[in-house]
Amino acid sequence: MDSFAVKIEGLTKVYKDFWKRKSVPALTNLNLEIKQGEIFGLLGPNGSGKTTTVKLLLGFLYPTSGRSWLLGKPSGHVQTKNKIGFLPEESYLYTFLNAEEILDFYGKLFNLSRKERKERIDKLIHLVGLNPYRKRLLSKYSKGMLRRIGIAQAIINDPDLIILDEPTSGLDPLGRREIKELIREFNQQGKTVLLCSHLLADVQSICSRIAILDKGVLQVAGNVKELLCQNEVMEFLVKNLSDSDLELVKKFIEEKNGEVLSMHPHRSTLEELFVNIIQQHN
Amino acid sequence: MILTLATHTLREAIRKKIPHILIGSGAIILAISPLISSANEPDALPKIMLILFFQLVTVLCITGIIIYSAISLPYDIEKKTIFSVLSKPVSPFKFVVGKTLGFSLLAAFILAVLGFVNIVFVFCASSHRLSEQKGLFKARKEFNAQHFHIQGKVHHEKEWIRWIMGGGEGIAVWNFPNLHEKTKKTLPFEVELRLKLDSSRDIADTIPLAIGIEGIHSEENKTEVFSAKADEILTVSINPEIIKTHNSIKITASPVLDTDYIGATQNSVKVFSLQKGFVFNYAKAIAITFLKFLLIIAVAVMGSAYLSAPVSILLAFTVFLCGHLLDFVKDFSLLLHHSGAHEHAFPGMIKKPNVFMIYMEYFSKKPLEWVSFILPDFKRFDSLSYLLKGINIPLETIGFSVQYTVIYVLICTLISCILLKKRELF
Repeated sequence: MDSFAVKIEGLTKVYKDFWKRKSVPALTNLNLEIKQGEIFGLLGPNGSGKTTTVKLLLGFLYPTSGRSWLLGKPSGHVQTKNKIGFLPEESYLYTFLNAEEILDFYGKLFNLSRKERKERIDKLIHLVGLNPYRKRLLSKYSKGMLRRIGIAQAIINDPDLIILDEPTSGLDPLGRREIKELIREFNQQGKTVLLCSHLLADVQSICSRIAILDKGVLQVAGNVKELLCQNEVMEFLVKNLSDSDLELVKKFIEEKNGEVLSMHPHRSTLEELFVNIIQQHN
Repeated sequence: MILTLATHTLREAIRKKIPHILIGSGAIILAISPLISSANEPDALPKIMLILFFQLVTVLCITGIIIYSAISLPYDIEKKTIFSVLSKPVSPFKFVVGKTLGFSLLAAFILAVLGFVNIVFVFCASSHRLSEQKGLFKARKEFNAQHFHIQGKVHHEKEWIRWIMGGGEGIAVWNFPNLHEKTKKTLPFEVELRLKLDSSRDIADTIPLAIGIEGIHSEENKTEVFSAKADEILTVSINPEIIKTHNSIKITASPVLDTDYIGATQNSVKVFSLQKGFVFNYAKAIAITFLKFLLIIAVAVMGSAYLSAPVSILLAFTVFLCGHLLDFVKDFSLLLHHSGAHEHAFPGMIKKPNVFMIYMEYFSKKPLEWVSFILPDFKRFDSLSYLLKGINIPLETIGFSVQYTVIYVLICTLISCILLKKRELF
């Protein structure tokens, strides 16, 4: 079990109504394994059971049936949380503190020494780009800034497993790119990342494996490349070919009983365009 | 970690200006107290200040603390800030204890500041006539009689009160052994007599009483006559040399006139050694008041671990009121069973209970007595009466209050932890 950062067996959660009658099934018989050192994406539309899964893993909710383990220990085990970082779906932070104070508070909860706390706070505040605003109260932060400080608090303990629930929500494209790069960096350091999101492009670009939930039921789970790969359809990206050469390629494919589905100039994404413009401007 | 959570809770309260509001309101009440004091009595103003502090300002602060401690945890759950704490290695036990400790620090801070302000006001208000107010600024050690008997004839006995008639028919005697041994110092002593007085005379404002204070084995029967008023305590000084010489003393009392009666019990007479240390006594009173805060905080946190903010506020206030209501019920039954009245009492002393009061007692007393086993009894935390009577608060009283509070807080905290652990955070 230790080779798995997260292991879920038959996890089911049915919410009860006021009279304690079981009414809404939020998660049904979920089985999942996340290996150590991978970036795993948990996808699904709103209300699909992503956040419920995370809350069950962290012990905030109790399962109706089934079991789960984090880093080899049952969910909710207090000492295991020393190695876990968690970013909730929204940055639920104490807004009467400033950035330094809130990171210091969370650092103390991990029993970090004063020196360690100071070093990590400086490093993290720089990392999430909030150095000019470190003394400003969180109540005066924008949503994006709160998200950044939320990410900083999630990694203040240098965790082995990082659970990020919608980490890029509320961030501008530049911020989203920075967070994605940060997640890749975590992966290079050997950390496991569980990423819950409904922003498919984000997940596709950084996750090695994914699972898709819908109405609390696991629809599919597996390697991103394998899941997206359509073996009967091939995609070529070519450069420096004239129109006549392209016609020749097209003819060659048709001679070999192939079918050209589309042929058009390559377009960059809007995100790439936005980032390029902002970076050039700065 | 518990201390981290406690200081965080305290900092949250300070940032939200909770102590500012409570200390400000308390200081305003104390500042306007000279406007409502009576100028007739020499120690009226310091007394009013003490009463206002212990009965109004502390109740105001308790109200503030109840509301704040009852809404803090539900607010954390509602705003989901609890997720970012409980996702760290923090157990529900540490979270609850940290919160409770934080509220207690807040209460201690507010009490310390307001207590200091109050004592400064009290001393400022009384500095120009301190000599007149010695009574209030005493911190006397109390000694109870070890033996009580009637020499001569008991006129009659009713509800443990022995009545004697004047004119030399009977003398009430109280023995106080080893007083000098117990104090180890040559201190001034005084005796307080709380006797039931009665007379068959038509108009009798005062009753002449013959009081004797002498060594327990002394054969002298030296007495002095004092005028005693009904419903007033008679205080008589004791020559310290009597106590130093005899160590044990006996106190005798009898009405001079055969038309007068006194009713006495073992506790009707008490001896006090006069010690300095009003400030220390006042600090002890504040400490006992703090225990009251601690207890109600534990109750408020316990409610908030499972209930919504308004319901947990309601629960804490209900417990707080019932804790004082038990006291009222006891007084209520005393009204019904008025034991002090004698056949020859002054007109108006005999009060017959009406039917409504009897029914009220019948229906309310028993259920409330049962409830009193569960609910805290705030009468145990009454420190004001000691200050007003100028009695040194015994360490045993503080020890008992501490034990009572600790047991109650431990039980409440345990229940809070179980409730929070079982609670699902959606």
